[in-house]
Order: sequence, then structure tokens, then C-alpha cells
Amino acid sequence: MSILINKNTKVLIQGITGAEGSRACREMIEYGTKILAGVRPGASGEFVEGVPVYDTVEEALKHYPQINTSLIIVPAKNVKDAALESIFAGVPLINILTEYVPPIDSSIIVAWARKYKTRIVGPSSIGIISPGKSKVGSIGSAEIRHVFKKGSIGVISKSGGMTAELAVVLGKEGLGESTVVGIGADTICGSDFVDILELFEKDKQTKAVVIFGEVGGVSEERVAEYVKKKKIKKPIVALIGGKFTHLLPSGTVLGHAGAIVSHGKGGYNSKIKALKESGIVLAQTPEEIPFLLKKMLQIK
Amino acid sequence: MKLYEFEGADLLEKYQILVPKRQVITSPKDDISISLPSVLKAQVLSGDRKKAGGILFAEKKSDFDKALKGLFGKTISGEKVEKVLIEEKVKGIAEYYISFSFSGLERSPVLALSSKGGSGISDAFIYPIDMLVGLEPFFVRQTLSRSGFPSKDINSLSIIILNLWKLFTEEKTVLAEINPLLKTADGAFFACDAKIDYGKRRAVEAMNGDIAIIASGGGASLINIDALLLAGGRPANYAEYSGNPKAEFVEKITKEVLMKPGIKACWVVGGTASFTDIYETMKGFTEGLKKVSPKPNFPFVIRRDGPRTKEAQKLLADFAKTEGFNFFIYGSETPMVETAKIVVQLAYYKNNKKQELNK
Repeated sequence: MSILINKNTKVLIQGITGAEGSRACREMIEYGTKILAGVRPGASGEFVEGVPVYDTVEEALKHYPQINTSLIIVPAKNVKDAALESIFAGVPLINILTEYVPPIDSSIIVAWARKYKTRIVGPSSIGIISPGKSKVGSIGSAEIRHVFKKGSIGVISKSGGMTAELAVVLGKEGLGESTVVGIGADTICGSDFVDILELFEKDKQTKAVVIFGEVGGVSEERVAEYVKKKKIKKPIVALIGGKFTHLLPSGTVLGHAGAIVSHGKGGYNSKIKALKESGIVLAQTPEEIPFLLKKMLQIK
Repeated sequence: MKLYEFEGADLLEKYQILVPKRQVITSPKDDISISLPSVLKAQVLSGDRKKAGGILFAEKKSDFDKALKGLFGKTISGEKVEKVLIEEKVKGIAEYYISFSFSGLERSPVLALSSKGGSGISDAFIYPIDMLVGLEPFFVRQTLSRSGFPSKDINSLSIIILNLWKLFTEEKTVLAEINPLLKTADGAFFACDAKIDYGKRRAVEAMNGDIAIIASGGGASLINIDALLLAGGRPANYAEYSGNPKAEFVEKITKEVLMKPGIKACWVVGGTASFTDIYETMKGFTEGLKKVSPKPNFPFVIRRDGPRTKEAQKLLADFAKTEGFNFFIYGSETPMVETAKIVVQLAYYKNNKKQELNK
């Protein structure tokens, strides 16, 4: 088992003809991911890496009804449109890689996804990888794919850049991953830590989860609440970045709204306090993580 | 990116929200067209402006001149006052609070309202907005009524709130806040401060230290700067690029970061990238470095891994040799945070321990 993606994952790429889209397509095929179709309005009949391109998601699904995952790599201003197209076409999993999607657009995507029970991962996600089975997005590209090894650790990271680094660190100590999920660090995200932790909770392959969080938003605080209420029971190791950010000129809270809306949550201290109180194990550095995991899982 | 108050005020006006008569000046010698009594406000981004004495009131010409002189010499939360906004003083009988921002918990925009606004505000009514519907006037009236606003204000406030919503969604900001919204005796409303934020960080932010930083990856950068502070390092800046930038972008950041005087070492640091082309970004770094003058003679600690690392490391080693730079090059075999200790050692404790450090 793994979560979100596996050998049965069949992908549609929206934005397949772009530089990033075609690269992701090539890298995913090399990893063994099944890509059935791509979408680029006005490019129907073309092929990218041997994958047929269609004008609309609907048309792609007519030819390949078995598509169950949509990967979105289109310019930020087009993301809302692309995501709604896949949501309304009934694709159950949408992974959005694009960064800088306006949060107002993300809010609209999330609202419709809730209504249609669509799972969204992203925006600003680096992708998802279930080592040895499938990968979606830019995660684990080129020679880096080998640092992700099949194993029992689930990884959820706001930061895309940290996913491979964490896999390297785990690999050095002989640990591997069940699934690694880049959720992005946007305030308005399709899936937060809790949403993905709930999936890991039910996954037999996953014995423990590493979460990499950072200042901003309240999804780390939400994890602490769920663990406290015993809605999540699998062991978790958390690493949180951004202790220093209050020293930055821009690091101060957003007007009064920042403090009023989040009730003082979102900062480094708030996150650390909440996580500690819930009993989640905190790592100070990436290198500590495998040792903390081994201790919890009693692996020698 | 946050807007200064005067920029925010212009934007409010563009969306038909009333702002007091005002003028921005850049020197105490500028001609003033705003009549007394007036309010003088230092244009800085800090939220503690009022507490720091950045807002002054003047009834008479002599008060005004004194206040103006004082403001231009001031530094508030590290920011020098270079512009002052002069506003006609509006006599208010009530101060309200209105804002739109995003809630990660609700995963939607939220409207925050209080009939007791002003700089001391600490609580407000919060209303998440259902984006399947958007913001409809009936909903706005409902929130105003529930939040205890006087019946007589509900229609005019609804218009202001819907205009602010238009600004918030069309300009795609992450924050649009009016505090206070001043109510006059004849029932008019004036936005007496504006906080508008577009949410994006600047690529390079200045800090007070002496170790220049060129970091990659949002998350890794946070971990690394935390580690640098823990190791006793003083970051000179926070500069971060992520994704797969072109060499030219890294070149630009490199130049900007290394032009700062008083740098003792430079730390080029990132994790193991998933898809960033390390050769391309390091090429940008070396191109930028070539253009820095005077030529840096301080040490550089470079820790990076990912696609095309071997070619990148060869490029760096060759560059250091031919151009005469002191590079310490590491990959994923050396933990990121370990290189924080190395750069601190090289910056502050007399170095040339290259061999020992490279072991």
C-alpha cells in the first residue's frame, strides 16, 4: 500500500506542452508513471513524449476514462480555470504544481473541490512519490529519483526542496518512504498536514510520519489538536523552520488582521508549543529525524 | 509586498472609498497644500508606528513645523522615515474596523468587523466567505447586523465593504484593512489608515549581520538560517530562490547580496533539489560573483546537491582556481546545518583551516 498514488495511477497533465509540463512528463514516464493524456487548448492532435494532447479535459477523459489523477502545471493566472475543469470532469485527485496562485483563486478551487469531494494537493506542491510505484509532479527528478526508497515512513512537507533532502537523510540510516507528499506552503491549500495524516493513518505500509512545517498558516497547530484528540495515533516526528523570521522586516504579522484572524497562531513559538503539548516529537535538525524515528519504532 | 499607507490610500480611492484630503511630502521644505488642523504620519511599514511616535497631530503652524522636523529625522523599527503623509484632520464620533484576509483554518477569505476599531483593537467578529457564492450584499448586511453596528450605518457600510471586497479580489491582495474607518457627525465615513499586502516577499531582505546568504528552497532556507543563528552566525540578509530559476536570476541576487559592505563570509546553501538544475544556478552564481567589486576575498561555503551536481561542482572548483576565490564545496554527504558551523568558523575565527574542514 501507499497513499494517493500507486501502480494504478493514471495521469492527465494539464499544461503538458509547456517547458515544465513536458519535462515533468518525461521524468514521470522514466519513473514508470502511466501518463495517458495531456491537455493544451488548441493543441489537440499533437504528442508530447508520445502522449496524446487534447483541447479539453472532457475530450481526454472520453478517450481515456481510466484517468484518475490530474497534474496541473499551467501559469498561475490559469490555475483556477484548469482546476475547475478537472473538478467538474470528475477527476478524483488533482495535484497543482504551479506557485504563486492568487489565494482568492485557491479559495474558489477548494470550495468546489469540497462540494465534488475532489482531493487537491497543492498549489505550490512539488508533487507526490510512492517509491517504486509511481510519481506525479517534479518530485524526485533525474538522478535524484534514486534517493527515494521504498519503506515505512510517510513524509509530508510544505517545502518542495526539503523532500529530497529528507529522503537522503532517511536513506543514510537505512529508512525508506511509503509516500512523500509535497503539500506546498500556501495559506489556502487543497490538503494540509491533517488531511494527509488521515490517509497515512489508514495505510498499512506506513509506520510513522515525518512532517516538515514552517512559520505561517495554522496547519501545524491543527496537527497538534488532532493528535491530542487521538484522531491521529501513528508516531510523528516534526521539523519546523523559521524561528528567525521575526527578525525580518517583512516577518511582522499582517496588520491587525494577522493577529485577530489567527488568534496569535501561526508563528514559530505557537507551533512549537502546540506540537510539544500534543506529545509530537520535535527534531532540531534534519539529521536527527532518522534516529528519532528508529527510537520510536524500536528499529536498531 | 506591503504597500505604504499613501499607496494604499490611493488604491482605496480608486475603489470609491473616501479618504481624507492628503499630500505626501519627501522633505520638510516641500510646499504644503493641506490646511490645519492636520495629521502627520511617518510612512513606514512597521505596525508599531503610533506607539513609536510616528503619528502626530497639529492644530497650529508652529506645532506642525516642529512635528514635521521631528518625523523626518526619525527611524521606526529600523526603517528611516523618508516620506510623510499629511492629512486633513477629520473629526470623528466613532472608529470602526474592517478587513479582508485569508484564514488557513477556514481555507477561505474572511471578513473581520468591529464597531470598536482604532490602534488598540485586539478582537473582531470573523465571517468566512463561501466562495461558491462570493460576497453578496445580503450577507454583508447580516454580518453588520450581527456585529452590533447601528442600523443607520448599515447601508453606507455595506457599500464600503463591497468596494473593499472588489479591491481585495481584483487586486488579488492577501490583506485589505481599514483601521480606523472614521465616522463623522453627519454620518460620512473616511478611511484613515490603509494596510494593503500583496503577500509576496522581496527576493532579498536586509538583516543586520555580516554573513551573506544565498539560499535555495523556501523551507530549507528557514532551517538553514535557524541553524546559522544557533551556530552564532549573523546573517547579513535573507535571500532565497526556489523552483528552477534562470542563471540570470541567481546572478542578480548574488550581485545584490555581495555588494553590501562589511561581509565576512558568504554561504551558498540549499538541500538536495528535486528538479532545480544545480549547474544552471551555480553558473548564475559565478557570473554574478565576477561582477562584484571590490572582488571579495572572504571565504565562500557552498552546499548544494541535486540534478547535475557533479558538473556544478567541477564548474565551481575550476572557477575558484582560475579567478582566485576561496571556495569550500560540499554536497549531500555533509549535512546542511553542519555547513552553518563551518561558515561561522571561517567568518569569525581566523581561518585557512581548509584542509581540516574538508576532512
